Amino acid sequence: MNAETIWLMTILGAPLAAVLLLFLLRERGVRVAGWIAGLAAALSLAGTFALLPALQRGDVPVLDVRWIPDANIRLSLRMDWLTFPFLVTEAAVTLLAIVYTWGYHHPDSRTPIFYGLLMLFAIGMSGTTLADAMFLFYIFWELMLVASCALIAIWGEGEHRGAVALKYFIFTHLGSLMVLVGLLLLYNATGNDSFSALRAGVTLAPGLVTTATVLFIVGFCVKMAIFPLHLWLPDAHAVAPMPVTIMLAAAMLSMGTYGILRFPLSIFSPAQMAPFAVPMMVAGIVSELYGALMALAEQDIKRIIAYSSVSQMGYILFGLGTLTHDGIAGSTLHVIFHAIVKALLFMGVGLVVRATGRRRITQIGGLGSAMPLVALCIGTGALAIAGMPPLCIFDSEWMIFAGGFHTAHIGLSILTLFGSLLTVAYALWFVGRILFGDRPEGLTIDRLPRAMVAPTVLLTALALIEGLFPAPVFNWVDQALNLILGGTW
Amino acid sequence: MTGDLRVVLPLACLAGGAFVVYLVARFVTSRNDLLALFTAGVLTAALTALALLQLAAADGGPPSGNHIPSWGHFGPDGALLRADSGALVVIGIALGLGLLVTVYSARYLALDRRYETFYPLLLMLIAGLIGMLLAEDLFSLYMFSELMSVAAYVLVAFRRRNTTAIEAGFKYLVMGSVGTVIVLFGISLVYRETGHLMLSQMTGTPGPWTRAGAACFLVGLGIKSAIVPLHTWLPDAHGRAPSSISAMLSGVIVQSAFYTLLKVCLGLGFPTRSLGTLLIVLSLLNMTLGNGLALVQTHTKRLLAYSTIAQMGYIMLSMGVGLRYNIPEAAQAGLFLMLAQATTKGLAFLCQGVSYFYCGATTIDQLRGIAAQMPLIAVAFSVALAGLAGVPPLAGFVGKWFILTNAVRSADALGYVGLAVFLLNSLLALGYYLPLIGTLFAPPLLDTEGAGARRIQVSPWMALPIITLGALVLAIGLYPGPWLAWTANAGVYLLALRR
Repeated sequence: MNAETIWLMTILGAPLAAVLLLFLLRERGVRVAGWIAGLAAALSLAGTFALLPALQRGDVPVLDVRWIPDANIRLSLRMDWLTFPFLVTEAAVTLLAIVYTWGYHHPDSRTPIFYGLLMLFAIGMSGTTLADAMFLFYIFWELMLVASCALIAIWGEGEHRGAVALKYFIFTHLGSLMVLVGLLLLYNATGNDSFSALRAGVTLAPGLVTTATVLFIVGFCVKMAIFPLHLWLPDAHAVAPMPVTIMLAAAMLSMGTYGILRFPLSIFSPAQMAPFAVPMMVAGIVSELYGALMALAEQDIKRIIAYSSVSQMGYILFGLGTLTHDGIAGSTLHVIFHAIVKALLFMGVGLVVRATGRRRITQIGGLGSAMPLVALCIGTGALAIAGMPPLCIFDSEWMIFAGGFHTAHIGLSILTLFGSLLTVAYALWFVGRILFGDRPEGLTIDRLPRAMVAPTVLLTALALIEGLFPAPVFNWVDQALNLILGGTW
Repeated sequence: MTGDLRVVLPLACLAGGAFVVYLVARFVTSRNDLLALFTAGVLTAALTALALLQLAAADGGPPSGNHIPSWGHFGPDGALLRADSGALVVIGIALGLGLLVTVYSARYLALDRRYETFYPLLLMLIAGLIGMLLAEDLFSLYMFSELMSVAAYVLVAFRRRNTTAIEAGFKYLVMGSVGTVIVLFGISLVYRETGHLMLSQMTGTPGPWTRAGAACFLVGLGIKSAIVPLHTWLPDAHGRAPSSISAMLSGVIVQSAFYTLLKVCLGLGFPTRSLGTLLIVLSLLNMTLGNGLALVQTHTKRLLAYSTIAQMGYIMLSMGVGLRYNIPEAAQAGLFLMLAQATTKGLAFLCQGVSYFYCGATTIDQLRGIAAQMPLIAVAFSVALAGLAGVPPLAGFVGKWFILTNAVRSADALGYVGLAVFLLNSLLALGYYLPLIGTLFAPPLLDTEGAGARRIQVSPWMALPIITLGALVLAIGLYPGPWLAWTANAGVYLLALRR
């Protein structure tokens, strides 16, 4: 066992140890729970970066153990270039969400369970990206759902949290089952649940290729909340406690993108994928426009940002659908940059809700002068989501549009480009209404915990830095694409 | 009578134990915990005997053929009891669950008392089950299945002051007896044609009478295995019996009847492919009806009973796929599902029993806030329900994975239909499992006069089996290898019975 394997195990092992510790401590651990979770999340992020040099040397850290020999099922983890960008995103979002929770969450006897479930949610996400075998992949994939659903059901806001959690579970489980059948089609074709067998090449009947691709794309689109499969998202995001919303929006949605990259795009050839290009692009545009329109119409500030996710995932699906190097690179980059900006916006909204105690946009206004720092963060976030240079999302959207114009479907690309005007509209209108104008009657501003402000400011800085210097991140993504596309595209 | 004595040993332990326990209860002590410990001792002895038998079976070489340990030889190839690998799995499940239920009853039975009848009946129930699974000639099989059923009727109606329990027991008795009579009729038809009743000697193409006899077994044992539309007794019986008995009935008794059905029907030369097709088609009914009706239940135990009908559907689907497409892994998965179902459903019923014991909860609404009073029970109950819903990494998920794998492997229209209906059903089932979990963790209603927040200390007699089963549900899900290996031979054996 070498250092790489140990770091690989740390990425999952540190949060797992934290979960066990927190569940064992229960009410005895109220005061240390936040620190335990924070430490575990930091270790997980450190483990991810510790493996970067190995990746750059061309090594592939793996862990591979026999699990269910009778069914050729193995317990294997593997870190490659496709895993890395997603893993960094999740680990960083988790760490920031935990820090944010220090200020957000009022400690009570169930606090350790709250942090424990957050860590379990994080394990689900990083496990999904690290898993190198189907059985394990699916277990982590569902763990993500179970943990986040429990968080919504127990700590959600409002009377209907039980119903919302149920809807969230059943809806996304539908997607999971489609993915599961897709996985089993591959498992059956190779007789082996390891992804390495898939990398070696799968031979499927043409009918099964179509079936598997449809199952994967539709199943993963449920997780990405692409219209009309997005129905779970606004409620789940609006009801979930803010740290969970941040993790859902910034990290979990990207798992759908990871799935599409990992399965249909990596396994099947461009010729096999070609029939799905236009449907993916069209679904992406519809989602982009629908999400933006709903964000314009919504009154609840948390739901506005939630609908903005539907819209942004539309860009990503469009980029994937172009099946061009630029489009797919742009989408992968967009996952990372969207995570930064969406976490920033939700954190900002959480600060507004904490300070004012209000969520209806008509009852909020004039915050620009009342809380300038937070206003600056929210304003930057909104400009970023609108695709304003030099903020980070401009770079990834540029790539996505460039990918679109490389295809034969110029009309669709022009449509996306103009669709992005709606994004600008809702982003600016949102900012205009809450930051400027007159302050409504009786609006008081409470003091904000530093633990909530600090990650918000950090993300604001990151949104600017990544926009100005995207080269390192772009390099990771490019490596990932070389892995998937392998020169055949 | 000659043969391998190890085959008869578990049966002898239980049958003898039943008498001894009764005598002890009448003349030595009437303390519940001592009697439970004594019964547990008997079951442990039987489990040890079974372990010996398992070793004997492992020595025997290939899972099919003439190496299967048997006892009571007569004639050229006759035997009374034969320990095939599938029967060993089901017996192992029954003895294990029985042991845990006995320990649990050491406290739970304070509700019903009459210990001197309960424990012997429980032992008789398991003895009948073992005999039925081991029996090689059809008449002994019939006698043992009656022993099991009669014990079950009485145990369902054990709360005799409760009129609904008497009603449920009576309904079970009437429907069960109809099944029994049909089986007996089937035996006579088989005897008319062959002149003997040895299953292992039924070779060659079956004649019309044997075919009719096999059909009678399908219907008669179909009643006992709750195959829709012959399931109507089950929700009443499993919903009204004491929870410990419901755990046994839902966990293993129904499944054992189903395994016997397969063994006898295949042994009598029922065309394998048609049997598989029939099972797949009926399984669709079982799943859909069980899950659909579970959605509208208000009583927890009736909900769990309908979920048993649905789970029987999953087992039937897996077995049906195995038989129709000749996939031993699917038959093996069917047995694995029986194991998963026994641990998971057993756990659910035992948790419900604890809630009834301490809080008098019978309806789902009354389970509100159990988490605040008994966190352990709420967590264990949730594990059981999540396991039944097939959430990874619990035992039910592994079963689901293999059902789906084999349905995909069938690469045939009916297999795909089964797959699609199964997937829809696993979504439908979430509609009642998840709200029930939500209810457990919901804050208690305010008008309970402050009793809601009181912590209840669960008796260790009840906590121990629940923790054991919970750990098993998790262990089987996380590390299914050894359990799959245990059922591997059984799948091969079942398919080797086909002609």
